[in-house]
Amino acid sequence: MHRVPTDLGRRRVCSGALAACAQALLLGAASRAHAQLVGADHGRVNPPVPIPDVAVRCADGGMASLAAMVQGRATALHLMFTGCSTVCPIQGAIFQRVQSLLPDQGARAIQLLSLSIDPVGDTPAAMRNWLKRFDAHDGWIAVAPDPKDLDRMLELFGQGRNAVESHATQVNIINRRGELVWRTQQLPSADSIADILRKV
Amino acid sequence: MAVSGPMLQLVGGLALLSAVAQADAPPADQEFLLGQALFVGHADLQGRVRTHLVDLPPEVIRCGNCHAAATGPDVARSLAPRLTRDLLLEPRARRGGPVSIYDPDKFCTLLRKGIDPAYVLISMEMPIYTIDDSSCRALWQFLTRSEHASSTH
Repeated sequence: MHRVPTDLGRRRVCSGALAACAQALLLGAASRAHAQLVGADHGRVNPPVPIPDVAVRCADGGMASLAAMVQGRATALHLMFTGCSTVCPIQGAIFQRVQSLLPDQGARAIQLLSLSIDPVGDTPAAMRNWLKRFDAHDGWIAVAPDPKDLDRMLELFGQGRNAVESHATQVNIINRRGELVWRTQQLPSADSIADILRKV
Repeated sequence: MAVSGPMLQLVGGLALLSAVAQADAPPADQEFLLGQALFVGHADLQGRVRTHLVDLPPEVIRCGNCHAAATGPDVARSLAPRLTRDLLLEPRARRGGPVSIYDPDKFCTLLRKGIDPAYVLISMEMPIYTIDDSSCRALWQFLTRSEHASSTH
């Protein structure tokens, strides 16, 4: 299974207990933040936007809170779906290289997060295959939201590009407080993602 | 990627058949076959997203990942245009630019620099390629020969 590194290296992201704790803390902030969305195409997100408290299905089959998942870690999040042969393989290759550029990813509490925009098609097994395809190791996880939350995810992380055929390929950077603070340009280089993650 | 023994034998057999076919083929057909192999990924391309510092793995930058060719099968959930002889050779406006037409040199410029015949930059999502003249010409031959539809299936 794919584990998310923490500074202590002990917690599992897809644990119900962790999710439940953070859900309660973040619910109010996330609700307020949703109304503040839609800014520049890329660059700094100002003010930072708390990640909403939505439930996601993990590649290991468990459920977790997205808001809880990004707490305490610097996170790079992209949108993808496993049945995509066009830009998604490039996105996967970029994250693969990010991992190679961050050998100290675990110690730095950095994680990569592939968020599916095909929650029906992307079963846990499909997500596991996605991670395996790109030789993902600890600190790169894949999740799929509930279909009812998909539009909200596309708005926040894809800035309204809501057709699967032309989904956004930018990377969303989330700070350790669980706030979206940066959107890259489309298909950013691995080097730039790694550089930003080191500074968040 | 792990490949099983029988699969290896099958791939080896196909490669041998292809090699025999290419050895017997006239030069123009060899060029066509090379173009086809490059298009579908049986031969590797070298390329990267134009803002990147390093190349991407060949398997993620295959032409056929995004584009259908001629009357070959669609690429599911792709907005990239089907690359047909007509698309390349008929005068038409592309990407908001003036009317333009491809020729082999302009096609190679697009692949190498991401600039189309009307000097409009193509989408960021399409990689740029480090490709030599012969491979570029082979791809052009594959895409512009009108009778190749059945061989793309």
